Amino acid sequence: MRRIYESDALERDNEDTFTPNERDREHKPQLFRSLNASAWSDRLLHHGVRCRAVSVRIETPRTEFEQGEVIPFRVWMKNSLPIPVTIRTRSPVLWSWFVDDYEEASKVSLREPPEEPAKIRFDRGQRVRFEKRWNQMFRIDEDEWRPAQPGEYTLRAAINVDSKKERNLSDETTIRIV
Amino acid sequence: MTLLEVNNLTVRFYTAEGVVTAVDDLSFTIDRGEKFGIVGESGAGKSVSALSVLRLIENPGRIESGEILLDGENLLEMSDKEIRKVRGNRVSMIFQDAQTALNPVYTVGEQISEPIRHHLDYSESEAKERAIELLDTVGIPDPQTRYSDYPHEFSGGMQQRAVIAMALSCDPDLLIADEPTTALDVMTEAKILNELDRLAEEFDTAVQLITHDLGVIAEVCDHVMVMYAGQPVETASVDDLFYDPKHPYTVGLMASIPRIGAGDTRLQTIPGVMPDLIDVPTGCTFHPRCPYAEDVCTQKEPGLVDPATGTEVGADADRGASCLAYTGDLANDLTFDVTVGDAGQSVGGESDD
Repeated sequence: MRRIYESDALERDNEDTFTPNERDREHKPQLFRSLNASAWSDRLLHHGVRCRAVSVRIETPRTEFEQGEVIPFRVWMKNSLPIPVTIRTRSPVLWSWFVDDYEEASKVSLREPPEEPAKIRFDRGQRVRFEKRWNQMFRIDEDEWRPAQPGEYTLRAAINVDSKKERNLSDETTIRIV
Repeated sequence: MTLLEVNNLTVRFYTAEGVVTAVDDLSFTIDRGEKFGIVGESGAGKSVSALSVLRLIENPGRIESGEILLDGENLLEMSDKEIRKVRGNRVSMIFQDAQTALNPVYTVGEQISEPIRHHLDYSESEAKERAIELLDTVGIPDPQTRYSDYPHEFSGGMQQRAVIAMALSCDPDLLIADEPTTALDVMTEAKILNELDRLAEEFDTAVQLITHDLGVIAEVCDHVMVMYAGQPVETASVDDLFYDPKHPYTVGLMASIPRIGAGDTRLQTIPGVMPDLIDVPTGCTFHPRCPYAEDVCTQKEPGLVDPATGTEVGADADRGASCLAYTGDLANDLTFDVTVGDAGQSVGGESDD
């Protein structure tokens, strides 16, 4: 069977600007960008330092909402270091949001993610924004929901790490349903 | 006799945006020689359910629960070596985009003969002979010469036929066709569907046909499952589905089929779009788009029930629909009706009388 590298289909020429150069296997590229900055940051920075470099913020457009109104909220995550950082999470669920400590406003277990750590990665100085909404419903059973009653509720977003490391990897805000 | 039995299959993708539940508690069965259709809009979970059967879900996707039984053997419990013996041999797949499915640096013939050599232990010359025979079967002209062509030398229709030939090369028990005609013009589509039908009859192969085209379903399939937001919303025989649909989504899909000479000035559509599978609506996932939705639809998720009795049905049910109208939870009735045209052409429609 003919393989592509045996086919001589690709013309190589060091003189012509518009054709690929001859292969040079002796020299490796030396540019700084060839460094795997994430891998180095993982090796050189302690996980605690990486956790402190990332911050989480949650915000709603206002604090009072009519009953039955959909509540939109934004979650911001920011890496304040000029190098990429990676944070180890407890499971493949990298982060989640909670209403009064109920994950995704569910009073029953939503899912059983595999018990294996995963990683959430941020580029240097990266700010990520997630748009979410809560429709004022609490899941009370596998197939049943109930509307939230008027009152105060705490919306929280957190990266899925051990509680000791959570500190600035979680944020909360209070809203009122009237 | 049941060939494939999928029970309570759940597939999730863990992304930075959130957890995508692409397939949620899906169950179905396919008998030997049966042509089973899965229909739904883009993002309904049709392709993910098909890829799960061959355990081709890639990271960050996970098959989280359920079982996939092929002749009683659970494919999810097989080792990698064992599942490789099943892929392309007992279960093969026609992928959605033939151009992407074919490897551009190998000849078409080589790609067809590779599984024959691998699974059936044919010699190189025997495999080549069989591959040429298959190319001829799927209607590639001058197969002897075409055997040595690269995929870019084939037209779109020919590439699709080559992928079909590859899928049929080891006489599979189950052929999964994931939108095999989506990228093709209608003439080629008709030819390929005829070939699929004929070849399935000839080889007595069960076909799992995935499409968003109800016309294709009507043409080819015996039994159909309609999917929405990763869940089955209706399952029925083709005749029942077209003449007596039970779920408002199925009715919406059928009302959206353009009809020549119907005199409509605008195409009928289902208002809204398929929900984001990270943030599915509470209750019935179809309620934001359903013309019959009531308050209870936002608070209670319907299971797949027998529309006649309202009792829950299993994977092998002949008829099932997941709508609260059949469990007595809705205050009003579903008021759509279906009329069949004079020329034997079905004209699905809904009315709010």
